[in-house]
Amino acid sequence: MGALGHFLEREGIATVGISLVREHTETIRPPRALWVTFELGRPLGVPDDAPFQRRVLHAAARLLERTDGPVIADYPEHVTEETDLTGWACPINLAPGRTDTLAAEIDRLGVWYDRAVAAQGRTTVGVSGLDMRAAGDLVTAALDEALPAPQLLKQAIDDLKAYYLEAASAFPDPGSSRTRKAWLWDETILARSLLALQPKLAASADAQHRILGNLTLIPATERHRLG
Amino acid sequence: MVKRLSDLPEVEAHHLANIKCPTYDDTPPLAGKPLQQRRVVLISTAGLHKRGDRPFQPGDGSYRVIPADTAASELVMSHISVNFDRTGFQQDLNVSFPIDRLRELAADGVVGSMAAMHYSFMGAFPPEAAEPHARHLAGLLKNDQVDAAILVPV
Repeated sequence: MGALGHFLEREGIATVGISLVREHTETIRPPRALWVTFELGRPLGVPDDAPFQRRVLHAAARLLERTDGPVIADYPEHVTEETDLTGWACPINLAPGRTDTLAAEIDRLGVWYDRAVAAQGRTTVGVSGLDMRAAGDLVTAALDEALPAPQLLKQAIDDLKAYYLEAASAFPDPGSSRTRKAWLWDETILARSLLALQPKLAASADAQHRILGNLTLIPATERHRLG
Repeated sequence: MVKRLSDLPEVEAHHLANIKCPTYDDTPPLAGKPLQQRRVVLISTAGLHKRGDRPFQPGDGSYRVIPADTAASELVMSHISVNFDRTGFQQDLNVSFPIDRLRELAADGVVGSMAAMHYSFMGAFPPEAAEPHARHLAGLLKNDQVDAAILVPV
């Protein structure tokens, strides 16, 4: 991110960047940066809080008038972590039975995904172009047969994760985003499938499969689940 | 509250500390017009694009175009990293791409205007892969009379 500040400013466009990792910005030294302490993925701080987001954006914009950089300004507001509901358990019973499959799990979530889309008025699913049953079939085939093309597999998996998490946001008791992510990794056949797929990808002769297996499949915070 | 890497859980801190950051000679910040006269563009590195645009790939230093009137429902994210939260984006586009907030700042006269086109890179790019695209983008921005960019990471 900070590199873009150098590139564009040198071409005549004044820049200011939001910084999520101060140590990175201190190394890259872009012309102007506003450091925020928010969670990675949430550079404006709080979803559905327009006044908060506007304050952050305004603070960044004001730095554009500074010519004494490189400057890193510290944004003064912080976000307290979402409260986890004690004892939260997924209120929708997804516990797999002996004959349960990824395809069945995907189907069971459909009604909740539809409710989430209706509530949000949008979905972030749709990078792969596959419907979710086909995306699930691709993951199953990757486990049982030859590995599919790495980009399509990656896009299908990211779509499935978005589908699961959007569906979970519409559960009767949706918990917090943190508990929903924990649910995905603790309780779903999808997560078990991805964890099972990782060694096969990591051992592939295809470098793009290995990138997927080693870097862009399992979050760093979940890699302890690998055998 | 100060959240440095040392304040984060060890796994996350270790991951972030291991990301190799490029270094550059300092770039002198440009002087310019007062903020309320500037035309401002948003440039994200969240790997955002319209559904149907070509997704980002590993090593991809190119950008995608997001017209200012793009509906939130048209945007998807194909960033390759799995190490940041996506549920915020799923809930509210503006927490990662504050296009409506910029529109409000322009309407309130805080900034002069907003660009006609906004852009997203995918932040896991090798800097040398993005540089030629960024230089080309600077020319497009000047054609749109843009003189200020707010860079939003993910």
